[in-house]
Amino acid sequence: MMSALDAVEPGTVLPSLTVRFTRTDLVRYAGASTDFNPIHHSDRAAAELGLDDVIAHGMLTMGTALRVVTDWVGDPGRVLSYAVRFTRPVRVPDTADGTAVDIEGVVKAVADGVATVSIEARCGGEKVLGGAVAEVRVD
Amino acid sequence: MPISESHVGRVYPATEPYVVSAAKVHEFAAALQDDSPAYTGSDPIAPPTFAMVIGAAAWGALFSDPELGLELRRTVHGEQRFDWDRPLRTGDAVTGTLSITKFRARGATEMITIAVEVATTEGERICTATSTLIHNREVAA
Repeated sequence: MMSALDAVEPGTVLPSLTVRFTRTDLVRYAGASTDFNPIHHSDRAAAELGLDDVIAHGMLTMGTALRVVTDWVGDPGRVLSYAVRFTRPVRVPDTADGTAVDIEGVVKAVADGVATVSIEARCGGEKVLGGAVAEVRVD
Repeated sequence: MPISESHVGRVYPATEPYVVSAAKVHEFAAALQDDSPAYTGSDPIAPPTFAMVIGAAAWGALFSDPELGLELRRTVHGEQRFDWDRPLRTGDAVTGTLSITKFRARGATEMITIAVEVATTEGERICTATSTLIHNREVAA
């Protein structure tokens, strides 16, 4: 059976995705990851560092952004590498809706059964990850 | 003496073994709002970035090394990279071994690159988690 992965080539655009983070989502990630840095849940701690709001864990943004690749490829065990720069914090106000992050992926290269995917994550139109690239087996 | 280029190459003892559990994998996948069937069922794997749970535990050695004088609260995560040999699976007992691989300073701003090798207690490498941390050293007034 032909799968979508048989037709992968440079320029292939992956289905995009939007995730939403509320304060509760940050607390959930703190517990799951064991990263309890208070700038991810406490207004006071964020203000002490000069931030104007609580910010999401960089690793939460990194982890959810990879879903654009793993949702597409099916088996997350196919991911070989993933690298990002944290260029801009994702502010998460204490509102019912929280903050939306839009995630897109496009294949840049395919060689030896491995696709190199460039990932973009935007919050309020601004890029929050720089140079985000994942290598994933598509053979 | 705070951290300097002379500390590049320093390797810390491996963390205590961590056993990946189905409950923790489920919790982590839920925190990523990820309902992939790969993370549930009878033989689940962990989401790729779950490796950071072990990585973060290994960071403890860096911040508790009195010679370096690093403070977590003055540290920002600048870059992160993972290279996987295979996914983590429930039941894996793994350790993290941290080494300092690069150091640069500009004034009070220090950029420290560290690599955490995540391996099973039998010695099978699972992944390497490489982080660049930006540490803003407190300068005496």
